[in-house]
Amino acid sequence: MLRFLIRRVSGAALILLLISAFTFFMYFAIPQDPATLACGKNCTPDALAIIHKNLGLDDPVPLQYWHYLSGIFAGRDFGVGHCDAPCFGVSFRNNQMVWDTIMDRLPLTLSLTFGGLVVFLFVGLGAGLMAARYRGTWLDKIFSGGSLVLSSFQIYFLGPIVLGIFVYSTGWLDKPKYVPITQDPGGWFMGLLIPWIVMATIFTANYTRMSRSSMIEQLQEEHVRAAKAKGMSSRYVFYRYAWRGSVIPIITILGMDIGALLSGGMVTELTFGLAGFGRLARDSVILKDLPVLMGVMIISAAFIIICNIVVDAMYAVVDPRVRLS
Amino acid sequence: MTTLTKTEDAPAPTGSDAFLSVRDLRVQFSTEDGAVKAVDGLSFDLERGKTLGIVGESGSGKSVTNLTVLGLHNPTTATIDGEIVLDGQELLTASESEMEKLRGNKMAMIFQDSLTALSPYYTVGRQISEPFRKHTGASKKEARDRAIEMLGKVGIPHPKQRVDDYPHQFSGGMRQRAMIAMSLVCNPELLIADEPTTALDVTVQAQILDLLKDLQQEFGSAIIMITHDLGVVANMADDILVMYAGRAVERGSTRQVLKTPEHPYTWGLLSSMPRLNSDVDEPLLPIPGSPPSLLNPPSGCPFHPRCAFTDKVTDGRCSGERPVLPVGRGAACHLTADQKQQVFIETIQPRLG
Amino acid sequence: MSILRSRTAQATVAAAAVGALALTGCSSGSKDSNKPAGKSQEEAKAQAKPVAMGTAQDSVGPAKPVAGAKKGGTVQVYQEADFSHLDPGQIYVSDAGMLSKLLYRGLTTYTENEKGDQTVVGDLATDPGKSSDGGKTWTFTLKDGIKDQNGHVITSADIRHSIERLYDPFLTDGPTYIQQWLSGAGTKYREAYKGPYKGKHLPKTVLDTPDDKTITFHFLEAHTDVPQALAMAAYSVVPEKTDTKQKYDQSPVATGPYKVASYKSGKSLSLVRNDNWDEKTDPLRHAYVDGWNIEFNHDKADQTKTILADRGDAKNAIMFTGQVDATQLQKITSDKAVMKRTIQGYAPYVWQLNFNMDRVKDKKIRDAISLAMPATSVARADGGAYGGDAATSLMSPTTPGYDAKYDPFNRAKKPNGDIEAAKKLIKEAGAEGKKLVYAYANTPVRTTQANLIINNLEKIGLDIQKKEVDQATWYEQMGKVKNGFDLYMTGWGQDWADGNTVFPPSFDGAQIQDGASNYSHTNDEHVNSELGRIQKIADADQRASEYAKLSKYISEKINPAAPIYYTKVFQIAGSNVGGLRYGQVVSYTDPTTIYLKK
Repeated sequence: MLRFLIRRVSGAALILLLISAFTFFMYFAIPQDPATLACGKNCTPDALAIIHKNLGLDDPVPLQYWHYLSGIFAGRDFGVGHCDAPCFGVSFRNNQMVWDTIMDRLPLTLSLTFGGLVVFLFVGLGAGLMAARYRGTWLDKIFSGGSLVLSSFQIYFLGPIVLGIFVYSTGWLDKPKYVPITQDPGGWFMGLLIPWIVMATIFTANYTRMSRSSMIEQLQEEHVRAAKAKGMSSRYVFYRYAWRGSVIPIITILGMDIGALLSGGMVTELTFGLAGFGRLARDSVILKDLPVLMGVMIISAAFIIICNIVVDAMYAVVDPRVRLS
Repeated sequence: MTTLTKTEDAPAPTGSDAFLSVRDLRVQFSTEDGAVKAVDGLSFDLERGKTLGIVGESGSGKSVTNLTVLGLHNPTTATIDGEIVLDGQELLTASESEMEKLRGNKMAMIFQDSLTALSPYYTVGRQISEPFRKHTGASKKEARDRAIEMLGKVGIPHPKQRVDDYPHQFSGGMRQRAMIAMSLVCNPELLIADEPTTALDVTVQAQILDLLKDLQQEFGSAIIMITHDLGVVANMADDILVMYAGRAVERGSTRQVLKTPEHPYTWGLLSSMPRLNSDVDEPLLPIPGSPPSLLNPPSGCPFHPRCAFTDKVTDGRCSGERPVLPVGRGAACHLTADQKQQVFIETIQPRLG
Repeated sequence: MSILRSRTAQATVAAAAVGALALTGCSSGSKDSNKPAGKSQEEAKAQAKPVAMGTAQDSVGPAKPVAGAKKGGTVQVYQEADFSHLDPGQIYVSDAGMLSKLLYRGLTTYTENEKGDQTVVGDLATDPGKSSDGGKTWTFTLKDGIKDQNGHVITSADIRHSIERLYDPFLTDGPTYIQQWLSGAGTKYREAYKGPYKGKHLPKTVLDTPDDKTITFHFLEAHTDVPQALAMAAYSVVPEKTDTKQKYDQSPVATGPYKVASYKSGKSLSLVRNDNWDEKTDPLRHAYVDGWNIEFNHDKADQTKTILADRGDAKNAIMFTGQVDATQLQKITSDKAVMKRTIQGYAPYVWQLNFNMDRVKDKKIRDAISLAMPATSVARADGGAYGGDAATSLMSPTTPGYDAKYDPFNRAKKPNGDIEAAKKLIKEAGAEGKKLVYAYANTPVRTTQANLIINNLEKIGLDIQKKEVDQATWYEQMGKVKNGFDLYMTGWGQDWADGNTVFPPSFDGAQIQDGASNYSHTNDEHVNSELGRIQKIADADQRASEYAKLSKYISEKINPAAPIYYTKVFQIAGSNVGGLRYGQVVSYTDPTTIYLKK
């Protein structure tokens, strides 16, 4: 286990380094001077030079990258003050520490992701299990048919409809907004209810279908039949024997989904006017705000890599045949 | 024979002391292409402590029959008719919970491939102790001790350590032994072994068969040994039932069936089996053609399209009339007893050497 | 100021444009109708009045009360994007300009009566300034009892510091009028002085503080509109002791009626009362409400729908720089009760099609193209019937001197282009099949507009080559002298209501250089000398009429740019909002008069 961790974490560090270098150098490969974006009406070549200097863009790119990297481990000094490690730099746009901005945006994204996750895992897996258990019955038909329809929906389609009905027209629910859970758990819950439901609806559909088909596949396994032949009740066999095997493909997809949601819950955030990590990512790209862009890329990549490691570890937990090494 | 149109076998002898009695069993699966008659009017009996070998090609209905005995078919896709009586209890009408109490307890099954039949997710010990706890109400500790005991019985060295291993940590033979341990943990009175040795090395095969014999002696169980390997039945079985296309085509004691087989299909099976004492250049004689479609079985005798002796039967009865399996020793074939004897002695026996 | 000049604005407009595209089909007017929906140009004329110079009396607080106004409550504001800056020294764009009205005070400001007439008055100063030395020297005296949010009394040293810090290289986004007037054009002023943070001050011969209450500006040349320039948010006071340089952008010190309670960059900004603000010193601001809660990340459609639905907090909501989403126009304009909750007015922007004078040298071709502009359709493509009106001249209805009847390109009769007349001119010029490069920014709105325009230009016999340009670098690319394009649309708006902030930046031949805003590269001796002369005219009315004349001269004799449309503002507020009006100065909902009814 320890060896596994060491190996994977060092691999992850290497990947992150590559990603950061790639992002950094690609950014400067774009034939566009980031300083021009800060340069408005008085954008004479001289004014441009000042901004250039302010943003620290005068150094050679490799040196800038080195400053960036060393800042992550050792901190850096900026005009706005000292930036403690891990220092991801200071935004080109508003002089804020990138790390602080990211830390400010993450709670929303975490709430959104894991709140939605709870809903779509419970409902999705539950519905999938029921559909598999009562395969061929009307229940199965409703669940699998419904999930087929719902999974073809998109958040940016369903979101505005739900908002239109429950917020703008009837006013039954408030507009989605983020209140930290530490501040007001009720407000946190109510504020994110709509995004959770909409997000979960779409994901639920996928998980229903996946859990159903995976379960049906498992139910045809010989060991499931063997367990029945031992006299184990069909409930027991269903939940202990078949389910155990059916979660493996689900863990795989879930790992990918969580990574994607954490690093890019952009559509959900944009649909509901929420400011989380996804929106930060999008804004940094539009505004060509390199430090924020870098921070976002690295943190996103880290999420995806962590999810991958967790998924691999989960395999070992679920399936004793899998060895971590 | 007056009832020429009758398509079912006549009832087998109603041996009153039969432990398991199967009567006119029919299992149909509905598929998109139509109904598949996997078992079509099968009857047999089995006494306590005896072993019945069921022999046949793949798709002949052997496995379906036994899964039906255990009640493991999905009632929504399978239509089951007939009667299965185990120790006086009618199984086909029994409720699911009654069946659960019987499965793994009074009757148990050994599956063909222990790699797939054991769950990879639980330890061998757990999988062995599970049915024991369920059927005897034993505590976890007791069940674990029982699992260790059973592992020892089936010849697994260091059972105390191995009990916590997962199936993938066992070798193939060990795993098969573990599965046998799992089946026997509640001392079942009926043991159905579905090709229990097919997936194993020949040497291990013999060990496993010996083990089964020993255990049968110890527990006094009745065994149904499903196989396509006549060598295995020769070794193990008291009686043999030869199945073809979902029906029994020959029945008799092991000796009778192997020494004086009466059905052309049985002849075919025996001829196609390699022998140790045969010449190297002597060709094996496989049965021509392939097993019939159960969706659309041949008329009359289902074996007639592959049978080399239909010309000996007059009036096209082979294709027009279904032969009946007589009570007791016999075969479902239109050849007369004399014809059978003649053909066997003249053509078949020399081949068998 | 040119539209989209800030990075934030670029992002915002790019995103908003997606919504705007969909609505071209929804605008209600029939094709040939030229009657503008919404506010007519006649009404807008009030906007074009020159700004009056106020007196010391006009500069005294408190501001004239709004009828029926009461105190209390918190106003909700929905905004698409965060303010790019809170540091007043970096504020140039309208969104932060709105905010600055609530947070900051400078030497001067504008008041505005019910008719929308603007008067420039003293804000921190007792009057809008006294000029001497023929307009080269301006002296301001501070009012008594002005304190910042920390209770610190504002002195002339703070004013000096506020001006001086604008020289420091870290401040790049604000306007440069005062700095350049004091120390030299271009970036010369930055070379002359590097800012106050190392303890050096501007020489007394430039900026003098003879006592705690007095500050004197010594400009290089005479300027007439110093009070207007100083009224810009960028010249608000930044108290010297509490100036945290770069960090000031996150936590500025307020002198206005509100101060920042919490600022979550990219998420929200909330303002609460600044108890050290004394209404008796303030001629402009009412502070009826107790606080403001500004939430970002609400796009145009979301803002409109939320305020239209009028539930909960949205009852107290106004828009800052948001606009009614065109998909909701039908719902809003057909409901009289809802219309009462809206405001309309001209935004100061004129969109024009620039001719690259270095490349399109035949005036007949330029005239033909100007005549052929599908002005009304192009305007509708940017926000529907309430988004803009066909522009008849290069002067905005908001610029003093604007003449609604002046229509050199026959927009009134041919709102979507006088194809016949244009064709004739092209024939005369022998320019049939002439190849021209049309550049446009790659946003949905600009693309739609480009297609409309190119369609007409092809009708009159020109061969147009389309060239798509990244929105983010649009103004940078157009600002290059050798940009390689023939035709390109740009928008320009006044910094204050005076031709001085429109004509010199756009048409001064001395301004042709990379990055400058003379996009057409107009360089005409008469125009150059007139610009020099008119800027020095002290009388605003006279200046206005001179600019009007010059505007006509430019269009008729040179025609470097075809006027296409004037942008308009159409905003909605919640039902509980009182004191709702269009503010001429901010050209959006006036934040200083707002109160909550309940």
